[in-house]
Amino acid sequence: MRNFDYVLRRGIFSLVTIFLAVTGNFFLFRLLPGDAVSNLAKVPHAGPELQHALMVRFGLDRSTWDQYLLYLKNLLHGDLGVSFTYQEPVSHLLLTDLENTVLLAGAGTLGAIVLGVLSGVVAAWRRSSPLDHLNTGLATLVYSFPAQWLGLVLLIIFAGVLPAGGMSDLFVFDSPPFWPHLADVGSHMVLPTATLILTAYGGYTLVVRSSMLETLGEDYVLTARAKGLSSRRIVWRHAVRNAMLPIVTMVALDLGYVVGGAVLVEVIFSWPGLGMATYTALGQRDYPMVQGGFLILTVSVILLNFLADLVYFRLDRRVSA
Amino acid sequence: MTRRSLRRTAAALVAVIVAGCGLVSCGGTENESAGGEVFRLGADQPIDSLNPFVSVVTMSFAVFEQIYPTLVQLDPHEQYVPDFAGSWSTSPDGRMWTFHTHPGAKWSDGMALTAADAAWTLTTIAKFQDGPTAGLANYVTALDSATTPDPDTLVLQYSRPVANVLNQLKSVPILPEHVWREYAQGDGGALTTFPNTAPIVSGGPFTLVRHQPKQIALFKRNPAYYGPPPHIAGFGIQFFSSADAMITALKSHQLDAAQSVPATSVANLKSAGFEVVSSPGLRFDSITVNANPKQRAEHRELTNPLVRQAFDHAIDRVGVVKTSLLGHGHPGSSIIPPGTAGWYDRSIAPTPFDLDAANRLLDEAGYRKGPDGVRIANGHPMDYPIILPEDTYSGAGLRSFQIVRAGFARIGVRLTPRLLDNAAANDANMADDSQDFAMTMWGWSGAASDPDDTLNYLTCRSWGILNDTGYCGEDWDRLYDRQSVAMDPADRHRIVDEMQRLAAQDRVLLVLDYPDSIEAHSRSWADLPQVGGDSFSSESKIPLLSVRKAG
Repeated sequence: MRNFDYVLRRGIFSLVTIFLAVTGNFFLFRLLPGDAVSNLAKVPHAGPELQHALMVRFGLDRSTWDQYLLYLKNLLHGDLGVSFTYQEPVSHLLLTDLENTVLLAGAGTLGAIVLGVLSGVVAAWRRSSPLDHLNTGLATLVYSFPAQWLGLVLLIIFAGVLPAGGMSDLFVFDSPPFWPHLADVGSHMVLPTATLILTAYGGYTLVVRSSMLETLGEDYVLTARAKGLSSRRIVWRHAVRNAMLPIVTMVALDLGYVVGGAVLVEVIFSWPGLGMATYTALGQRDYPMVQGGFLILTVSVILLNFLADLVYFRLDRRVSA
Repeated sequence: MTRRSLRRTAAALVAVIVAGCGLVSCGGTENESAGGEVFRLGADQPIDSLNPFVSVVTMSFAVFEQIYPTLVQLDPHEQYVPDFAGSWSTSPDGRMWTFHTHPGAKWSDGMALTAADAAWTLTTIAKFQDGPTAGLANYVTALDSATTPDPDTLVLQYSRPVANVLNQLKSVPILPEHVWREYAQGDGGALTTFPNTAPIVSGGPFTLVRHQPKQIALFKRNPAYYGPPPHIAGFGIQFFSSADAMITALKSHQLDAAQSVPATSVANLKSAGFEVVSSPGLRFDSITVNANPKQRAEHRELTNPLVRQAFDHAIDRVGVVKTSLLGHGHPGSSIIPPGTAGWYDRSIAPTPFDLDAANRLLDEAGYRKGPDGVRIANGHPMDYPIILPEDTYSGAGLRSFQIVRAGFARIGVRLTPRLLDNAAANDANMADDSQDFAMTMWGWSGAASDPDDTLNYLTCRSWGILNDTGYCGEDWDRLYDRQSVAMDPADRHRIVDEMQRLAAQDRVLLVLDYPDSIEAHSRSWADLPQVGGDSFSSESKIPLLSVRKAG
């Protein structure tokens, strides 16, 4: 019963947060100066007729309150509206973008975790050695690079070797066979994914190294050494498992940003994801697209945090207190 | 889960593994499937919509130009030449135009393509011009009727002479009536909701076979095209959100050509062996000094002709072209750019950079320098916020602004940049009936063949929509109306020249520069002319009909 109460409480809290975020998103963008109509009506010979026609088409001739109620009503029916710019359903446009972003950011986050854990463990294992200094120094250095700068540098360095933009070779009339397509998508992912990995893995390295050093000083590690276990076995079978708890926290927090964290990288590599779509829509005051984009970002952060709460609850029942 | 998303998910799972061998596999993915027949173009502006009644961006109209017939088109010398209409004539009073269309033409679905399709398209635009088709309304100005005495003849009757009929008609994509008719019922609202997705029934030299928004538009040769067949099997446009990525893709031969090449990449591409073509563009960059006599008292002195003249002299246009455009452009003078076929008035010279003259003019106006070096006008310092929209504050625009600000500082005028995105900049310019803003640095693009769009921009009737200058003059509007009905080209030229001189004299816009239109393509392709600065043109089918593999 106590478990159910906790889950219910967290669930309600998440729903209220989503509602507040939805409301905030709706009004926030309308507070900004400028609108889609003034942008779209700036074409040769545009007159008041075009301006009026666009206002009616976008529903902007209604009061803000009416627009808000209509937005909420449509949202409850799963309807995110129609993009002002593309005149297509936002859910359709953003779903494809979301898939692309999850693909890129997911691979980037996963790669950063794997690389960060490996380099953190190695750094702690060989602490104070040249390898540790080199490893930790490099991780800290790339961690401090802005993703967009590093992306541009990689773009220049690997020009002609790796694809520079997009997510596959698009100039083909017929769908390519599965494996060549897979290799093609993979090759287009290399640079943006590498950018994400390089700018994120340093954080994991430093946390894992610190946690590992603490764990390696525990009595049970000394006991294991005394029993004659090999270093490799002590590190990978005993110490790493216990040092992973802070990483669970970090991953849980990072997962919430998987969807929204790759905006600049998507723009640099022309990756057609959610970040790029939201960035473009914001400049065009395409309210349905912006609201839809932010809704997905908000919901993903809240849901993943909710998930993290549940995982914590499962790991440590004291969190419900 | 769709098949495509399943694929993508599977790709995600192995992407990291593939990445490991990426250096090897990627070299092999370089568009072998194109077989040398698909022309691969990179562009920085995506298609907004495939529905001509919804779309507003030039890129979309360039797509319509390739897939739909137009009555006339421009050739590389900016002359009107036949497209779907092989010949045309006009009545002596200039109110009736007769076009003879290509007999026996067909749409890509095999249906007959006749003058009736053109008549239906124009009639529909005119019928709903206050609503769903308002975006194309300017192409049917004063059109009374469009009739077809026979399937190969189109007769357009206008309520008054229209000087730029051909310019208007070259921009109207002729739509297949049998596809679109059902959406033009009732209030015509369905015309704007029809997505018109690929495969599209086409009448132009190409058909759109695939469009992935913000990624690619892929076109195949249309075997039913009424004109000469293209030399290529098709072409594709890949959209980039970063110019660096586009140039890198071109250099690594993932593309055959790139549009809108930044000036900073020209030397690099030339040294890498690419053909780089710079041609006079259709855009001018300018500084708007609020001309509204009712503007706020804090900057009302901006309407003083001496102040506007002084500002004009404080702009180092040669420096702007040399530093910001890296020489790929020309100092600005008239509001009609040199790229607008034959309409640029060469007698209007760029105002010389002369700080002494500028200082003298401001002294003459009675605005003396204060202790901090900033002049005082009407009791307040000449310190003005200047709006820099996002179009301007990136790259070359920001460099230009720094040069302008340095010049103004030396005449005792301080400029404070106000960086806004385009929508917010529109709002700020139009706020309070254009009384609020002091200055803006922005650009304007016109049509390749006709000055009408640019001239209309400054009319009183465009106030608050297009006209963001605070300028509204009876003389200007009278001249605008005169040129729009002047059927004799020489007459019209004289009026347009007079308007250019009026704009220069009133200093409505302080024209900074005319950036060149820069494109680059691989030398393995030949015969790719430009029309209006673009090879992928919204005004001509000729470049993509003539492009071919070199050798």
